Amino acid sequence: MPDHWSFVAAAYGLTAAVLLIYWRRLATKEREVEASKRLNAERSREPSITGHPRSEPASRTPLQQNQRPGAPLP
Amino acid sequence: MSYARRALAVAWKDLAVERRSKETLNALVFFSLLLLFVFQFTLGGDRERLAAVLPGVLWLGFVLSALLALGRTFLVEREHDCWEGLLLAPGDKSAIYLGKLAGNLALMLVVEALVLGLFVVFFDIDLGRALPGLLVVVLLGTLGLAAVGTLFAAMTANVRARELLFPVLLLPVQIPVLLATVKATEALLLGEPLGAVGHWVKLLLAADVIYVVVSLLTFDVVLEA
Amino acid sequence: MVKTLGWLTAAALAAGLVMAFGVAPREVTQGNVQRIMYVHVPLILASYVAFVVLAVASLVYLVRRDPAADGVAHASGEVGVMFVGLGIATGSIWGKPTWGTWWTWDARLTSVAILFVMYLGYLLLRGTIDDPERAARYCAVLGIVAALDIPLVHFSVYWWRTLHQPPSLMKPGGFTGSSSILWPLLVNLLAFILLYVYFVARRARLLRAQAEAIA
Repeated sequence: MPDHWSFVAAAYGLTAAVLLIYWRRLATKEREVEASKRLNAERSREPSITGHPRSEPASRTPLQQNQRPGAPLP
Repeated sequence: MSYARRALAVAWKDLAVERRSKETLNALVFFSLLLLFVFQFTLGGDRERLAAVLPGVLWLGFVLSALLALGRTFLVEREHDCWEGLLLAPGDKSAIYLGKLAGNLALMLVVEALVLGLFVVFFDIDLGRALPGLLVVVLLGTLGLAAVGTLFAAMTANVRARELLFPVLLLPVQIPVLLATVKATEALLLGEPLGAVGHWVKLLLAADVIYVVVSLLTFDVVLEA
Repeated sequence: MVKTLGWLTAAALAAGLVMAFGVAPREVTQGNVQRIMYVHVPLILASYVAFVVLAVASLVYLVRRDPAADGVAHASGEVGVMFVGLGIATGSIWGKPTWGTWWTWDARLTSVAILFVMYLGYLLLRGTIDDPERAARYCAVLGIVAALDIPLVHFSVYWWRTLHQPPSLMKPGGFTGSSSILWPLLVNLLAFILLYVYFVARRARLLRAQAEAIA
């Protein structure tokens, strides 16, 4: 029987192609998630102008909430 | 309310709704008649060829009707905003499954009896001695279809592309039931006794047990709030 | 650690390739086209591993509601479908020159095709449900139903093909038992199982990261 190397190439080639595409998709998605995580982290870590870390809005007292960062106390 | 009474209540409600509106039943009867025509036009020319494919065509008709009937299992709850009610129902929700299953089974058996009758008339089949065995096979096969169908109907009730997803999920899983019923029906119509297809009957029994037990155990999970 | 696994997998795959073409002999009846077996069989067997893991992970999820178990099930489903799809394709490519046909409905091919379609449905269900908790629950149920269906599929298809019918065509690559065929096969099998584990580990990790990013 002849060797049919083209079929062998097709089988191995198809397998390699699909597996590589899947592998690259994983890598791309990982990078996307990394990027969006870094973005989220930066946003939440943005310091206020006074340099104090921002407190949660709900935990601030009315006096604190009304006070703009950097504005002098009355 | 006891478990059995709750199940019966669900079944009774569905059947009562159906008996009053006859919406599903009428549509399914009409659909079966249409199927008959389609089969005749596509396959009917050659008498012998038709006789050869008849068991498959019969069960094809059953399955297509089943897809329509089962797909509508939770239609009433969905359309009338009762879905939340189902989710919040107290107690073991598998009672709802049993009730729905009983209702579906009844509906499907009625439609199948009609389809079989139509086939006998239009395709001139002699059921004769095959009938008791045929009844067993039809009952077991229908239970298999309804058991998984009811579970999957609940799962796909509130997802996108429900009408597509339901048959796509159900059909591959039902292939063993389809193979068993068609092969058994074929043998029975050729005059063989029920004993000759004992292995298929056992497979159907095993399938039915597996499907019903798994559905009972997991229905609560599907209907979690 | 996933990285090390990745390198190990790559090494195993390379070794497998070398053995498939360097060590394995030219088959007596079929010629070199038989070398397709060294990807085809490992792909199919590795997909079986994937589906078993999917079933177990589904069960674990239903009992413990651990998202990690759902992640493993999800990833296993993806890799399993990919492997079995490739297995069917490579088998078909192998079958054309040896059997003269791209496809035949013999017992094994039919069973594997049903498997492919069942688990493709699993992935479709995943894709259709947006709520991750509901998707996890529903897919776990489907995973268990599918797994329990497998013995039914096996027997029904086997009886369908063999009863009242002569045995089906000779399958390519019957085992002569010679070690020069066995060892390349085993090495490739190990390589593809490693590849499965690597892909699942990475995919599950990605799923976790994606879930955290949304939270």
